[in-house]
Parts: sequence; C-alpha cells; structure tokens
Amino acid sequence: MVVVERKELTLAERLYLPEIFRGMAITFRKLFAKRVTRQYPEEPLPTTEVTRGQPRLVVNDDGNIACVSCGLCEAACPAYAITIDGHETDRTIEREPERFDIDMLRCILCGFCEEACPKDAIFMSDELELADYTRQALVYNIERLKRPKSALQARIDYVYRLNDRWQSSSSTS
Amino acid sequence: MTEHVTYEYSPGAGAEELLAQHQDDPIHGETMRLNMGPQHPATHGVLRLMLELDGETMRSVTPDVGYLHRGKEKTCETLGWHRFFPHTDRLDYVQPLMNNVAYALAVEQLAGIEAPPRAQVVRVLLMELSRIMAHLIYFGTLGIDLGAVTLFFYSFNQREELYRILDAYTGHRMNNTYVRIGGVYADIDEGIESMIRSFLDEFPGHLEEMNKMVERNRIWIDRNRGVGVITAEEAQALSLTGPNLRGSGVEWDLRREQPYCGYETYEFDVPTGSVGDCYDRFLVRVEEMRQSARIARQALDRLKDVKGDVLLEDRRFVLPPRGDVHRSMEELIYQFKIVTDLRVPRGEAYHAVESSKGELGFYVVSDGSSRPVRCHIRAPGLMNVQAIPHVAGGRLFSDMVAIIGSLDFVMGEVDR
Ligand code: SF4
Ligand code: SF4
Repeated sequence: MVVVERKELTLAERLYLPEIFRGMAITFRKLFAKRVTRQYPEEPLPTTEVTRGQPRLVVNDDGNIACVSCGLCEAACPAYAITIDGHETDRTIEREPERFDIDMLRCILCGFCEEACPKDAIFMSDELELADYTRQALVYNIERLKRPKSALQARIDYVYRLNDRWQSSSSTS
Repeated sequence: MTEHVTYEYSPGAGAEELLAQHQDDPIHGETMRLNMGPQHPATHGVLRLMLELDGETMRSVTPDVGYLHRGKEKTCETLGWHRFFPHTDRLDYVQPLMNNVAYALAVEQLAGIEAPPRAQVVRVLLMELSRIMAHLIYFGTLGIDLGAVTLFFYSFNQREELYRILDAYTGHRMNNTYVRIGGVYADIDEGIESMIRSFLDEFPGHLEEMNKMVERNRIWIDRNRGVGVITAEEAQALSLTGPNLRGSGVEWDLRREQPYCGYETYEFDVPTGSVGDCYDRFLVRVEEMRQSARIARQALDRLKDVKGDVLLEDRRFVLPPRGDVHRSMEELIYQFKIVTDLRVPRGEAYHAVESSKGELGFYVVSDGSSRPVRCHIRAPGLMNVQAIPHVAGGRLFSDMVAIIGSLDFVMGEVDR
C-alpha cells in the first residue's frame, strides 16, 4: 500500500511571495517554448490515410460505381445515416444503387460502413469539413458521394494492409 | 403527469458544528435556495445542484441529474451487440477507448472468447493512455475551477499530445471506436509505438512541472485541504470506487483485485490517501498518472515480444479479412451474417474495469439473439455525484467547485 505523502509547507512556501516568483519563472520559460497553438482554418491539421473522414463511394476506373446496393453498410450503420434504394442493371454486377444518401449530420464517422462493405465500394475519405446553411444540403446524395478510386487509393491500401496483418494465418484460400 | 421527485439529503458530518460557528451572523437562520447549473461551467457538464444557503454556508445540496440522458442502455437493446460500440465512446467521452474495452470485455465474457495476447497488451496500453488523458482533464479543470487558469493550458497541452497519438493511430481524436469484440481494430505499428514512447519519455517531466505549480501552493492547499472529507467507511457506504475511494485510504483497485487483460503481470503501485479530502484525491490522481505511464511503458516493451494478430479468428463474432471476402463465397456469407445478425449466446455477464473514475461495469443479458435483452452500465460517475450532498453540507459555497472538481465525474456517463 502506497500512501501519498502530504508534505507540510516550509516557511518560504507559507510566505507565498517567493512561490509567486517560482511560478512566474515557469510561466516565463514557457514564453520561449515552442508554440503549440495553430491558426486553424488557415493551418489545418494534416490528414493521412488513417484519418477517418466522411465516407465516400468509390467510382471504378471504368466510370461505374462499385456499389452493388447490398445494404450491408446500411445495416452496419449505428447512426442510421445511410439510405439505399437499388435497382437492377445490365452490367455484370447486376445491381447498383438508384439512391444512396448519407445524412452527414447523423454520420459519426465510425467507419463501420467501410468495414462492412463486401465490394470495396465505400471508404472513409480525408474530407472532414462540413458546413452549410440548411440541414437538407447536408444529406449527401450519390452524386456528391462519388469519388474516383484514385482519390481514395491511399485509404484502400491502408485498409488492406490492416487486413493483411490480421491474416498471417488465414485458412481460406 | 410525472412528478418530479427530489430527495432531501441530511447535511454531512460536522455540518451542525460548522453552522453553529455562524450563530452571531445577523442573517443566520434565513435560508436561500440557489440553483447551480445545469449550464454552469463549473458543474462539469449539465449537473444541476439545488443549494440551500444560510449566508454563504450550504445547509443542504440536492443534485438533480438527467439533463444529458440519451437512453444509452435502451439504445444498446435496439442497436445490437456490435453497433453499440460508438455509443460507449460517448459515455465518458474523455476516455472513449476505456469504455470500448469495458464493453468488449463484457460481451467477450458472455460469448466465452478472449482476445489474442497482443490485443490484450494493446488494450492495456490504450487504457492507460486513456487514464492519463482523463486525469489530465481532471487536473486542468480542477485548476480552472479554483482559479489556476494557467494550469489548464499546461495540462490540456499534454492531453493534446495524446490526442495526436490517437489521431495517428485511430484516425480520430475523440470517440475513437477502435476496439472490437475479440480484439482491437488495428495493430500498433512502429510509428505509433515511437510516438507513444517519446510521449512517455517527456510526460513525467511535464507532469512534475505542472504538479510543482500547485502541489505546495498555498492557495491550492487552502482550497483543497480539509475540504470535502470522506472517511473510508463513508466512501464505502456511498459505493465510491476508483481514486475517490482510494483517496479515502481504501486500497481497492480492480486491476489488482479482479485482474483483466493480464494486469496481474504488470508492475505498478496503487496509491491511497490518508485523510480523504480533496487534496488527497488530487495527490492520488497525480500519482496514478505516474503509475499509468509506468504501466504503459511496460506494455510498450511487451509489444516487442508478443507478436501475432490483434483480432481473434472467430467467424461467429469477428468479420473475415477483407481480401478473403472477395475470394471465397463462404467468407462472404460470414460477412453478411456478422454484420446483420451477430448473435451472442444466451446468458448474462458482468465485467468491470478500473476506469479513471472508478469501477466502470457493463452488465449484459442475452437471449441468444442479435440484440441484448438488457445492457446496464455501472457508471462510477453517478456514485461520485451521489457523494456531493454528503460532503458539501455545512461547507462554504465556494468549496463547492473544489468538491465537484475533485470528485471528478463526466455527465455523459452519469446520465447515460
Ligand atoms: S461512418 Fe459510421 S455513421 Fe457514418 S455512414 Fe458509415 S457507418 Fe454510418
Ligand atoms: S455495403 Fe458496399 S456494396 Fe453494399 S450497399 Fe454499402 S457501399 Fe454498396
């Protein structure tokens, strides 16, 4: 059992004035220390592939959306932010979303949609800033969510790297 | 119509004598009701306190909680096992990863699984960093409550360093949601490891510097010493846990008494106080930060030796790896099953961790379906609020901020 020590004050400490100078010395030292604040909108924090920003939909190189509207991300979303309606297409993947809305005001950027997606169609981008004049304008529709695959490539690679790490001993081929 | 129920608390020990000292005061005996909060910054969130003042002396205090009630427990019953994780972040939002781990441990206990060894080390590391983070907030806000505004900047500066580390590791500064049933989402790689290591090298020095400014400062001592005394028996009767209980001299730490995540193999001291006043609780928390840094350093060293996955390979609870989902139909089916219908065996489980505020426990009941039947959160903060009326009676009104600050609770967790 370690009992924390309650030391009695010395005379100098009780006099208080010397202590003020000791405290001011620390404050004075800080004047010359490295600046820790940042002028935010002008100097934003750097984002990396680890940053979980707003989710975005992948558009493949051939111009088609990768999503097959399976609804897994909708089911995984803890904030009920995603709404999907799908329809059939003639493409080989057979289905694609007709409507894919993410309510950015509800989205908590948890990344569960990214984890759930079996088609690598939704990824967390590094886009973080979110402001508008109306609530409706912040419900992003499919057009506003689409991003070319190249823009999300760093994140895609990162997620795959993570999975590789888990998968040193995979049983399946 | 529901009636608003309030409970009258009797003033704490010694209140009558303290009040008697003011016998000659011309306004003695006339009481005034005063509301503190729910939007008062010194109440650390949205706590409302109804004070009965006799001059400047508090006769009684009645806390009124529930202004931040978001129905977390009920939400858990509708969201299901996995999707509740982000909500645990928002309980005690100054230590999200600790809450994640506590919930994951409860579900894992129910499911009868255990995270792989490396995940356990990572969890310990994250929990200790969270503890430092939460205690730094305590340190800074207690300072600002008592007028030491500079201290707030120093402690939040250190906390900022930790947030940078978490940002680099999880991609978020707050509300990280990085723990999963069966492990943690991502491994700690060399880059993050060296960031944590350099933080741990610097931190003790900064802590000593901050501590030096207040530990033996006369104002600090005058405002903390002898204020809000809770004896060991009272602390136990009030079901206090964590630093508040240890400040009263009871050596009880769940990391020692019911070890989880391999805490029994780490070396650390459990600091306790002797008097049980605000000053003891302060000293205990400062010492806990030092000990947390010590544990975190041991965990970092272990990361070198303990290799392997950080997520369990179990197709009942853990998503299959990404590449495999594309290659194998079997894994694709598991992906669908786990996301939409993660089932946990029938039964009930309670698991508690030593959070920065005390015993944070999750009690989960499953009927074998994909949603919990009941999820109860044993929030230490609620018990800490419960202690306010007991220690505040008879004290001066200005002691209130010291008492609130030193009991250290976060309303997100108290009201849930
Ligand atoms: S990041 Fe989370 S909250 Fe946002 S859409 Fe995806 S699952 Fe929903
Ligand atoms: S999980 Fe992926 S493929 Fe399925 S609907 Fe969502 S984005 Fe589309």
